[in-house]
Amino acid sequence: MLAFSIKIGAQAGAGVMVTGRSLAKCFTRGGLNVVAYPEYPSIIRGGHNSYQVVVSDKPVHSPLMHSDIVVALNQDAVLFHKDSLSKGGALIYDSRIDAQKFKPRKDILLFRLPIEDLLAKSGATAKMANTVALGAALAVSGYPFGLLETVLRDEFTRKGENIVRENISAARAGYDHAKADFKGFGKSLKPASDKRKIFLEGNEAVALGAVKAGMKFYVAYPMTPASTLLHYFCENDRKLDIVVKQTEDEIAAMNYAVGANFAGVRAMTGTSGGGFSLMVEALGMAAESETPVVVTLVSRPGPGTCMPTWTEQAELRFALHASQGEFLRVILAPGDVDECFNLAWRAFNFADKYQMPVIILLDKFLGESTFSTERFDESKVKIERGKIAKDLPELPPNTRFRRYALSADGVSARPLPGEPEGMHVATSYEHDETGYSSEDFSVRKAQVDKRMAKLDALVKEIPGPALYGRKTADVTLVCWGSQKLPCLDSLEMLAEKGVTANLLHFSYLFPVNVKEVQKALAKCKKTVLVENNATAQLAGLLKEYADAGFDFHLLKYDGRQFFPEQIAGEVAKLAEKGFKGRKEIRIGDADYEYYNTQRYGL
Amino acid sequence: MATVEELGVKQRVQWCPGCGNMGVLAALKGALAELGLNRHETVIVSGIGCSGKMPHYLGTYGFESLHGRSLPVASAIKLANTGLTVIAEGGDGDGYGIGVQHFVHIMRRNYDLTYIVHDNQVYGLTTGQAAPTALLGMKTKTTPWGVVETPFNPISTAINGGATYVARGFAGDIPHLKELIKGAITHKGFALVDVLQPCVTFNYLNTYQWFQERVYKLEAAGHDPKDRAAAMEKAMEDSKSDYKKVPIGLFYKEERPTYEETLPQIKDTPLVKHDISNVDISTAYEDLE
Repeated sequence: MLAFSIKIGAQAGAGVMVTGRSLAKCFTRGGLNVVAYPEYPSIIRGGHNSYQVVVSDKPVHSPLMHSDIVVALNQDAVLFHKDSLSKGGALIYDSRIDAQKFKPRKDILLFRLPIEDLLAKSGATAKMANTVALGAALAVSGYPFGLLETVLRDEFTRKGENIVRENISAARAGYDHAKADFKGFGKSLKPASDKRKIFLEGNEAVALGAVKAGMKFYVAYPMTPASTLLHYFCENDRKLDIVVKQTEDEIAAMNYAVGANFAGVRAMTGTSGGGFSLMVEALGMAAESETPVVVTLVSRPGPGTCMPTWTEQAELRFALHASQGEFLRVILAPGDVDECFNLAWRAFNFADKYQMPVIILLDKFLGESTFSTERFDESKVKIERGKIAKDLPELPPNTRFRRYALSADGVSARPLPGEPEGMHVATSYEHDETGYSSEDFSVRKAQVDKRMAKLDALVKEIPGPALYGRKTADVTLVCWGSQKLPCLDSLEMLAEKGVTANLLHFSYLFPVNVKEVQKALAKCKKTVLVENNATAQLAGLLKEYADAGFDFHLLKYDGRQFFPEQIAGEVAKLAEKGFKGRKEIRIGDADYEYYNTQRYGL
Repeated sequence: MATVEELGVKQRVQWCPGCGNMGVLAALKGALAELGLNRHETVIVSGIGCSGKMPHYLGTYGFESLHGRSLPVASAIKLANTGLTVIAEGGDGDGYGIGVQHFVHIMRRNYDLTYIVHDNQVYGLTTGQAAPTALLGMKTKTTPWGVVETPFNPISTAINGGATYVARGFAGDIPHLKELIKGAITHKGFALVDVLQPCVTFNYLNTYQWFQERVYKLEAAGHDPKDRAAAMEKAMEDSKSDYKKVPIGLFYKEERPTYEETLPQIKDTPLVKHDISNVDISTAYEDLE
């Protein structure tokens, strides 16, 4: 049985995000499992926004293609979302919309909501139209009103008691109207428990992990879809006792991050692909000067400005090869909020211990999806700062500390500015053991060898891919990062179709732990690699390092992530054909909720 | 505390004989020694260029960053550890060319740090191309028919941009330059010291002699550095006089709160000294429920 899904649609700027989040929080506070996902164009007014809330009393991970309730606040919302309503689903629409114009389906319920009248009756302002609809949606879901009141109170408290009261009465008006008039909807949601859960985005989970790791400085230039990370830190800087700096550009941001780390503060920057393009020179400086640095790269479709508010996993290779020259780096790609938290604090340990850049690679889909979850398990959190040097012996006159002393593990002692007798120069030039720039060939080779020698210890800390589902299966899905979410939800759908499947998920992308990867892949029968890009970048990486290959590549790169239904559908088709056919399967959402009125002849 | 001798590093200096950088190094060493700063609590951050080699010749902490990026690196070092004396430096190409966006924005922020620009009006390390401050008509490798772009004016830009200490020195007058640098380091806020500094290898126009014939000291001329309008007048004097008169000294100085002072997070304890062994994030969870 598919999870329950509600989608709210309106024109951009109408406040769909706040409305959707309130609804999702309501379910979260009732102990249910919730995933919420916003879709919006790169326009502040006039485009179409939607917010999907998927709810279940069982685990849910991903947005779904169907909706059980659609709340349409404008005509476009009816147009775009009506076809994905499940049979018996409810279309709640503002009475100012002429829904008949769109020849609505006969197998759905049409609930005409007189928002204007209800606003007038409840004494709320026109701005609260969404709140009336929110109340109505909750009533149709069969959910009690009480939790919505607490959510609205928390959401609007800072705007004053009047606004809180008006919102509650607007919601109540919608709720009561729907209870009385909207009959016949067959499904209903009930709170499961009163256990408090948190409700947060992938980006926010990275933020929490970073703060837990002792990140004291965040520096960035705004760029969708990494901006919510910046916003979270700015909103909470004093509370979290961190300093946040918005810089003039991403070049500055990365240079700041390296400078702060040099001075001994755990610092991070965050951006998307375009901004990361500006950061790569300084990423290389961190590598050459062996300064730790952490960057969160929240990817979106590319190249160029491309589709700023949509999603894609096309930056694995970019992250891997960014900046000139050859150097080691760590690339971590969390697959859910739990991994966002855990890989974020680990990122700082990797950076400090190995004195190298660490990239946390997310995408818009995970970065801006919101999930209900338990508070994170902090029992494993460790703060490992590596070889920070203290209490040093006196330096001979007019000499320097040997910051880049050759060592078996490739990591040298690092005194922080302020430490007596640790004076040295960190430099982006090739250098000798004292940091003095050098073009001596033997020095160059020794320093490259030293930096590369870090790999031996590092790779031992890199786990292989994680297996989800049954130990053996007819087919194994393989993916990395965010696509874990739809893949997980597709396993049960496949089981219903009679296909036994499991999932091998990579959250540690680089360096590649070849032995562990080969061990995991050896246990697979048929494999389908699922990647949200056009060139199967993980396949390329694993071919190169682990001589691994996959039977099929399922690829999607139209701006949306995979839906579990799509994965289950394509894999079931393969199973039916006895896993024969073309290796590359490329899919898209050509016929699903395309937000383009022209294609409807309007 | 360190003497001029203790501030040196056993290292062969890689500048041309007679290079103006030598004068800047001598003045900076003298300033650090006379101010009694601890070597381990001083950080020199450079960009790339001939000027970028400066950190290697001083026994302090140093960071030789990227071309044009000394300011963002230095800014973050200061924010991370307000207990340090941070001095950024670079050339005119580094600071007024490729890194000019950082120069413009750092002045608005007024971090408490010093920026020394080795302004030799030419690109030295890349063998003699036109710099942003190259004078009109100057022939270089990249301007064989002479420079046609109006020279960048760092002094007027700094006064207009919000720098709170704006000075220009001359590498041929080390005692005077040393005093300007001392003033910059002790000034609370962002201090620019633009240094006229002959490049003996690639700049055949702006030689020691050329400068010596033209420079005069603002202090001696009775200039009041608190007078912003007068400072702007003086900042334009070189171009207006067709470079017959080139004022050096302190153009402008004002007191304004530093960026760091606006941050309660680091009022009592620099960021680097915050205890991170077990950060409590329970209030963050509460806000997300």
